[in-house]
Amino acid sequence: MSFNSEIRGSGKTMMARRLTSILPDISFEEALEISKIHSVAGKIGNNTIINKRPFRSPHHTISTTGLIGGGSYPKPGEISLSHFGVLFLDELPEFNKKTIEVLRGPLEDREVTISRANATYSYPCNFMLVASMNPCPCGFYGSPDKECTCTEKQRNMYRNKISGPILDRIDIQIEVPNVKYSKLEGKAGESSESIRSRVNKAREIQLNRYKGLNIYSNAELTPKLVEIVCKLNEPSKIILKNSFEKLKLSARAYTRILKVARTIADLDGKKDIETTHIIEAISYRSLDRK
Amino acid sequence: MFNNYNLFQNSDNSSKKSNFNNLIRKGSDVKLVSVIKSMTLQGLEGVLVNVEVDVSSGMPAWNVVGLPDTAIKESKERIRTAIKNCDVELLSRKYIINLSPADIRKEGSSLDLSMAVGILKCIEKIGDFDVNNTVFLGELSLDAKIKKINGILPICLEAKKQGIKRIILPMANSKEASVVDGLEIIGVKDLEEVIKYLNGEILVEPTKVNIKELFMKDIGEELDFAEVKGQESIKRALEISAAGRT
Repeated sequence: MSFNSEIRGSGKTMMARRLTSILPDISFEEALEISKIHSVAGKIGNNTIINKRPFRSPHHTISTTGLIGGGSYPKPGEISLSHFGVLFLDELPEFNKKTIEVLRGPLEDREVTISRANATYSYPCNFMLVASMNPCPCGFYGSPDKECTCTEKQRNMYRNKISGPILDRIDIQIEVPNVKYSKLEGKAGESSESIRSRVNKAREIQLNRYKGLNIYSNAELTPKLVEIVCKLNEPSKIILKNSFEKLKLSARAYTRILKVARTIADLDGKKDIETTHIIEAISYRSLDRK
Repeated sequence: MFNNYNLFQNSDNSSKKSNFNNLIRKGSDVKLVSVIKSMTLQGLEGVLVNVEVDVSSGMPAWNVVGLPDTAIKESKERIRTAIKNCDVELLSRKYIINLSPADIRKEGSSLDLSMAVGILKCIEKIGDFDVNNTVFLGELSLDAKIKKINGILPICLEAKKQGIKRIILPMANSKEASVVDGLEIIGVKDLEEVIKYLNGEILVEPTKVNIKELFMKDIGEELDFAEVKGQESIKRALEISAAGRT
């Protein structure tokens, strides 16, 4: 999940902060696991048990150790503190490049193993990565209203701060447009509660489908299972093939598109992935197109 | 000088021996070894640690062995002062503390209380109690107060697995610990309370919480998407990622 903001101040941070409010309801086992990590990190405060999904948004000056954990007396890092919750990296290109790269392994394994001379520790880190960035250093590239003042080189340098492998691991990439004035005056949006009820329903479908497989969501599907549960019809296959060649997607991006399409179908309550689902899933790879 | 020498020469051999015996006896008003259970953290798991304390006569010393970190080595000053401030006299003796298993690195201040209890048991300020089923946790301050430690939850989960029945820990941690059911959680404020409790002079009620209630409890207001106007496409993307945890 990543935001690619079109124009500054369009509310990407505001929305990311609200993401935990629409995540599926937390189970007692999950709450216990989260509390364990927070207890070790000394962050449990006056709570006895943490019954809310965590939302962590570390500042971009964070060190590698702070992010993934470690130290001479190893402590869990931000990715473990956002276990079963959301890790929000605001202004992703501002982070140290090396710091972002260490996320590669944990994003795939959902666990980070820290080996030091005196011990080896494993911390779970099943988190949802949400990141935001501007289209260019000045923030107006591609804006219909204002001209970008950056040079081509500056834009490239800014983009290159995030490597292909990291982008590859981000399933949903979307541009945040500026809000129109008429919308600002309009009525309030849908409440988190009603969104969450749909999310819960979709998650229930997944739980039933993956019973006994030791996985809980579409994101955790292994390549083998993807083949079984993400079957496409003929027109969808052609669409995917065309966009795959045109966008020059990687093999990882391919399975990730399938997983996202599966989720959209689940939200729709459909048993099979339909053409509209796969098209929507492909549309979420906006950064691959650039 | 000459006289002194003479005195020594003339002194009876047996009396010299008895003097020496006296010296030992003076130091042996203490039990040999006491073993107290405590726990430390290894990553996200708790590890049971046996704190073995031996107090004997000899050159006054205070040694902690068994891979302690700096915080544990420094505990000497905290424990000494805390015991003194409980109106217990700590004589100049040879104090050896072994943290077993000796091959695991121990860190943090959570072993303070168990070491203090071990010493007090050696010098018989604390009587017999169910040593094998009781775990002590907590950091001591100079005025003998027991301070909060980190990682209580994983420690208590492991203690339960190991068949421990009672955990004596800082008051501030007692609620967090009582999330684990089937354990007798005794929250204590200071070392004096621990001594009195173990000697049966006072009763401390085990901490109990209603875990179901705590889990269901709503903590504060949450941010709501209703406050975000427009941006429907972004909300849709967020909904999808929430549903598939992508």
